Amino acid sequence: MRAPRVGKAVQAPGRDGEGMGAVRRIWLLAWRDLRLEVRDRAGLLSVLAFFSVMLFIMALALGPEEEPLRRAAPGVLWVALAFGSTLLSTRAFALEVEDGTLDDLLLTPGGKEWIYFGKLLFQMFLLLPLSLLALLMAAGLFYLPLDRLLPLFLTLLLGVLGYTSVATFYAGLLARLRGREVLLPLLLFSLVVPVVLAAVRATLGLVEGLPLEEVQNWWQLLLVFDVVYLTASALLFPVVLEG
Amino acid sequence: MLLRLQGISKRFGREWVIRNLSFALERGETVALVGPNGSGKTTLLRLMAGLLKPTRGRVEREGRALFLPNPPAFHRHLTAREHLLYDLAFHGREGDWQGALRRFGLPEEVPLAAFSSGMKKRLALVRLTLLAPDVWLLDEPETALDGEGRALLIGILREARRSAGVVLATHDRALASEVADRTLVLGGV
Repeated sequence: MRAPRVGKAVQAPGRDGEGMGAVRRIWLLAWRDLRLEVRDRAGLLSVLAFFSVMLFIMALALGPEEEPLRRAAPGVLWVALAFGSTLLSTRAFALEVEDGTLDDLLLTPGGKEWIYFGKLLFQMFLLLPLSLLALLMAAGLFYLPLDRLLPLFLTLLLGVLGYTSVATFYAGLLARLRGREVLLPLLLFSLVVPVVLAAVRATLGLVEGLPLEEVQNWWQLLLVFDVVYLTASALLFPVVLEG
Repeated sequence: MLLRLQGISKRFGREWVIRNLSFALERGETVALVGPNGSGKTTLLRLMAGLLKPTRGRVEREGRALFLPNPPAFHRHLTAREHLLYDLAFHGREGDWQGALRRFGLPEEVPLAAFSSGMKKRLALVRLTLLAPDVWLLDEPETALDGEGRALLIGILREARRSAGVVLATHDRALASEVADRTLVLGGV
C-alpha cells in the first residue's frame, strides 16, 4: 500500500497557511491505521476466520431446509458481526498501545476529537468490507436473497456505524487498561443491543420482501442511535483520553 | 516563560513520586534533570508535557511541548519516511525530512522493525527537529547512541535552544554539563 497523498499534504498545506485541517488529519489517521492493520494482518485474519467458522457452524446446525435457514440468516449475520467486530474494536487503540505511540497522538496540537473520528473511520474502513463479505457468506450458506443489495448495504452501513461509534469510544477509554479485551465486550454489548436489534429487524424485513416504507422505520431508528452515540462519544472522548 | 510548575506533587496509589516541586523554564534555556532511578525524572517530564495530571499544584505551558520517551516509540510496520510524513501532517507542519534523514544517516524505506535502538533514537531526534516544538522534553536522549549520534544530539540541542526551551533527564553528568545551563537534582521523596 502506498500513500503518496501524505507527502503531497505536507508539501502543499492548506490555503489558510496553518497546515492541514481536521478533516485531512482524520482521513490520514484512518489511512495510516488501515495500512498498519493490513501489514500486521493478525486482526483481519482472526475476524475472517471467526466469521467463516461461526456462519458455517450455524448453517450446519440450522439446515438443511431452506426456509428456517433464510429466516435465521439476519439474526445469525448480525450476531456474527457483533461478536466478530469486538475482535477488531480493540485494534483501534491497540496499534498505539503496542507500539507506545499513543502519547505522540495526544501531544498533537488542537482538540482531541479528530483522534476519535480518525479511529472511527479506520474501524469503518475495516468493518464495512468485512461485513459485506459476511453478507455474501450468509447469502451462500443461508439462502439469503441478494436482490435488494443496496438496501441491505444501507442497513449494514447504519448498523456498523452505530456499533463502531460506541466501540471506538470504549476502545479509547480502555486503551491503557489491562484486560481491555475482556472488558470491552461487557461494556459494549449493553449499549449496542438496540442497534443490533434494529439492524436485525431491518435485514429481516428486506429478506422477507417487505415494502421499503416498512423497513424505513428501522433505518430511522438506526439513524437516531447513530447520531446520539456519535455525538455523545465525540463529546466525551477528549475527557476520557486525559491522563 | 515557556513552562511553569507551581508546587506540584504526584502520587501513584499511596506512593508520592514528586512532592511540592516548583520550576520554570525560559525560552533559550536548557535544564538537565538528574537523579537516581525512581527519583521521578520521567514522571516530571510527563507532567511537563501534560501527559499526566499533577495530584496537587499547577502546570502552565506556553506553546507546544513534545516528549521523547526512552525508548522512543514508533510504529514498527512503517518506514522512517512514512512515519515522518504522518507526524508532520498530524502536527500541520512542513520540513525537509529527506535532508534530516540524510544528516542523521538513516534510510528512508526500511521498516522501523529493522531499526536498531540507536537508529530509533536518531529517528526520534529527527522527528523532534522537524516538528520544532517550543518545549523539548527528552528522557535519557543519549541512551543507545554511538559517538557520532551523541555528537549529533549535542548539535541539535544547541540548535534547539535558539528558539525553544529544553529539559532533558539524564544519567550522563558529562552531557548535562556540556549542554545544560542549570541542573535540577531529584533525590526521591
